[in-house]
Amino acid sequence: MDSSEREQYRAAIHGDREAFEMIIRTHSRTLFAIAYSILQNREEAEDVVQDALVRAWKTRWRVRDPAKFPAWLATVARHRAHDIFRKRRAVPFPPETIETNETEITNTEAVDQQLHTALAALPELHRAALTLRYFEELDYRTIENTLGLSNGALRGILGRALAALRKQLRPALASLE
Amino acid sequence: MATIHNEIDDWLAADVHGDLSKDERSALHAHLVECATCRKANEENKVMNKILEETLAQEKPDPAFEQRMLAGFRGRIPQRSGLARLLVDLMRLRPVQITAVAAILLALVQVGRVITGERSTIPRSREYYANEKFFRQQPSQVAPGIGLAGGLDKSDELAAGRSRDLSLQAPPPSLPASRSDFHENAKMPATIVAPAKAAQPEAAEMLGRSASPENLARVEVAEQKPADASAPVLANRKLIRNATVQLEIVSFDDALQRITAFANEEHGYVATTSSEKQANGKLRGEVVVKVLPEKLDRFLQKLRGLGELKNQTLGTEDVTKGYFDTDARLKNARVMEQRLIDMLKTRTGKVADLLQVEKELGRVREEIEKMQGDLQYWDSQVQFATVTVSLAEKDMEEPAAFLLKERGQLSLYAPDVEKIYNEAKALASPKVQITNAQLNRDYSGRVSATMSVLIAPEESDAVISRVKGLGRVENFQMQTQRIAQGGNGMSENAKTKRDKVELNITISREEQEQALQQTSLRIRTSAVDEKAKELRTLAEKQGGRVRNSTFNRDPDGRELANVWLRVPMKNYFALMQSLNSLGKVENVSVQRQDRTGTQIDEASAPADISIQVYSQGNIISHESGLLATLRRTLTQSAGAIMWSLRMIGVAVAFLAPWAIAIVAVVWIVRRIAQKRRSKS
Repeated sequence: MDSSEREQYRAAIHGDREAFEMIIRTHSRTLFAIAYSILQNREEAEDVVQDALVRAWKTRWRVRDPAKFPAWLATVARHRAHDIFRKRRAVPFPPETIETNETEITNTEAVDQQLHTALAALPELHRAALTLRYFEELDYRTIENTLGLSNGALRGILGRALAALRKQLRPALASLE
Repeated sequence: MATIHNEIDDWLAADVHGDLSKDERSALHAHLVECATCRKANEENKVMNKILEETLAQEKPDPAFEQRMLAGFRGRIPQRSGLARLLVDLMRLRPVQITAVAAILLALVQVGRVITGERSTIPRSREYYANEKFFRQQPSQVAPGIGLAGGLDKSDELAAGRSRDLSLQAPPPSLPASRSDFHENAKMPATIVAPAKAAQPEAAEMLGRSASPENLARVEVAEQKPADASAPVLANRKLIRNATVQLEIVSFDDALQRITAFANEEHGYVATTSSEKQANGKLRGEVVVKVLPEKLDRFLQKLRGLGELKNQTLGTEDVTKGYFDTDARLKNARVMEQRLIDMLKTRTGKVADLLQVEKELGRVREEIEKMQGDLQYWDSQVQFATVTVSLAEKDMEEPAAFLLKERGQLSLYAPDVEKIYNEAKALASPKVQITNAQLNRDYSGRVSATMSVLIAPEESDAVISRVKGLGRVENFQMQTQRIAQGGNGMSENAKTKRDKVELNITISREEQEQALQQTSLRIRTSAVDEKAKELRTLAEKQGGRVRNSTFNRDPDGRELANVWLRVPMKNYFALMQSLNSLGKVENVSVQRQDRTGTQIDEASAPADISIQVYSQGNIISHESGLLATLRRTLTQSAGAIMWSLRMIGVAVAFLAPWAIAIVAVVWIVRRIAQKRRSKS
């Protein structure tokens, strides 16, 4: 993290609205990826990001160390997403998801479907790492910073996540080829 | 490489994600060439990566996402208005923050001051005072210089005029020498006065530089007392200086001699001396010395060497104004006198008028003489400083004599108080004076007497021993007090004198005397009443008396008699022996009260014996036998059970609330856990 970034975080914590808006510009996609990894739903994820940003602005004074600002933002977003997730679990699954399985689908759509199922089965942290990687094409360093992981741990997580997906989707992949 | 093979998933993922370093990449590729499984995994992984990229790219937020987020944020957190924003922006600056904190602290301090009632303007007012002082000081430094410069010429002239007059009239013996000094001194300041704005020490230095030995000595004095440095400058003013000194010295005569020597050295003289001899042979006195004012300080310095300085005061009285007023009036009066004389010479007018003139002339002359006398007196006072030296020899407070005061307290016991009382009264003589005698008899027939006697010292021992012989001495105390006369503290030489002895005598009946020895014992016998009577006769045989006795019989047929006897100590053992004839003697306990320090006639001292004569009753108690034992056992065990029941009750009461609380907590925790489980 360079000093200008750090200065930006500091200014934002101290209530500089412009600095905070700048952070919104640079970080909202990351937050979206995290929210999405938990919720698997774009609208909800967007709402979560919006809520998280507002909440972060209101409680920005809680952050002591400016360097930890991005990680803290991610945490806020994750908590918010979990809240939404828990609320959603309380109501039963909408019936249409079951219906789509029954309809005629193409191969690629089947793969898509299977991929989503496989993704849903992954541990949350794995999913977050994957989404950060594939949504934003972030390099490992940034992902590590955002999720608060070491390089080795991140490599393991992504490796295992990919391997798990690979194994689950092997038949579908074969058919695709 | 085994590690790569084992962790192939991680390696492959890092490879497709471009996180491998160059070396790592070549190592991985080398392994892929070797290992078919891993190669296959690699292929699959690449496909997987591609699918993921394609699929998740669809889910990626659209390009307007950030704008939407921003708009949403702005919509939900409205911008502040201009002023508020400016303030917030300002507060973001460090210096502004520091200033704000400082301002708040200051405000708090001010509030604190208001609350405690402290005045906040103190620093300013102090500054103000300092300034004022400074301004006041400056003129005061300049003024004397100017004042002197103006005033000196005149007064110098006058002083010169006066001194010339004086020298014509009555020159004191040491005057000529010191007079010239005086003039020198008076003129010197006049030359100095021009640069008198310079500080005083500098002036003193200048004085010193005009090197005459006399002046050097003065500088010494000036240095010791900077405040006096202006004294020479004011020398032509009419100042009367006097000092008093109190000294404690070893020998008065010695000190007086040395003071006279000092006075001569300083061209002064001893005016008066007085001394007084104290009762303890020590001398106290006063010496009045006249010295020249400018030598006063040195003289005082010398005086200190004589002994211990107790007190010293130095005073100056300024008579300048009165002096010159009188001087002027004197001149006027002289002119008047001359005129009157002229009038008489021309002898015109009537005889009555001439007489009038004559009378007037007489009055004027009288006035002139009086004024001259005043001036002369002042001159002598000014010329010489008066030093009053009070001398006191060491150990002034030592007492002259000691008086031994003896006071005695004698308590007597006697069988017949009145007889002894009269005998004691008969001792009265010129050397033995009875100051107070009193005989008291109370309603129960008890008699006591008190007497106070004053005895001449030479008779005291004989009289006291005679009084002691009248009865049995219970207590005798003698108190001696040594009183210093004419001072306090100790003295080696003072004589000691014996004063009259004061003796207080108390006589009380023997009955009231405390027994020297107390014995208690029990005698078991069958016929209690009979034995008690026998006991009485036995006691009387041995010269004792029964003081008290009781007898009682209880329903079980037991009899009990208590008898209290008093016998003289000499018959005590005989009586104890004879008691054995009465029955079985039990439980003998003896208590002796030795009064240490007092000589007691032991043989006739009283001994008290308390005897309990009793008989064993012969009726068997109904509280024995098998039934009674059984009954007792049962009652006792029932009692024990009741007691343990009570204890259990207490324990339950003690523990129950805790048990209930623990059970309740456990129940609540379980309920919460259950709920959680059902939720998840």
